Amino acid sequence: MVLTSSRFGSIDVPDEAIVEFPSGLVGLGGSRYALLAREEAQSFLWLQSLDDPDLALPVVNPWEFFPEYELELTQQDADRLGAARPDHTSLYVTVRRSDDDATEGFSANLRAPIVIVGSIGYQLINQADDAPVRAPLAA
Amino acid sequence: MLIITRKPGEKIMLGDDVTVEVIEVSGSSVRIGIAAPRSLPVYREEIWAAVKEENAAAAASADAVPPPAEPGAGGE
Repeated sequence: MVLTSSRFGSIDVPDEAIVEFPSGLVGLGGSRYALLAREEAQSFLWLQSLDDPDLALPVVNPWEFFPEYELELTQQDADRLGAARPDHTSLYVTVRRSDDDATEGFSANLRAPIVIVGSIGYQLINQADDAPVRAPLAA
Repeated sequence: MLIITRKPGEKIMLGDDVTVEVIEVSGSSVRIGIAAPRSLPVYREEIWAAVKEENAAAAASADAVPPPAEPGAGGE
């Protein structure tokens, strides 16, 4: 399908890139997003809303920046994911620019990762003790 | 805001599908059990607020991140 983004213009998106979030992303409207990737080497990906051309969130694979990252789910969330097959499951965390001008760069939200199973996505709360909302991304 | 007094073991229904039960009261803490459909996420409020803020900040940071190289994509 052709997606309209205020940042990227019109993009022809393959069906495999479309992710349905039954519960949306916390605090944001809309439930359908496209996961846009650059070439493999690119660290940053994008979740572009299909409902709001202005809404796009940069995301990264947490293990690329935080090799020790661990995700611990509540039983309820584990049940929601069902018997997810690892080869059909991917994990991302949102990235933001640090609002403190003194610290250049970005931070990642390790507390609320986005789990995508097939074409269905969930933003879940990581129960692990050491999962900061703002973990600085090493440049 | 609706304010209801309940004792441990007593419940509150939110619609037909969500049950909130007071499990235990101990000092200034209250243990609460929530039974809700899988499709309804349940959050501690302070975590929900923090995640909401980070999501909004991520969306607002979008212009600072290199865009994907899809057809029609391009930076400012």
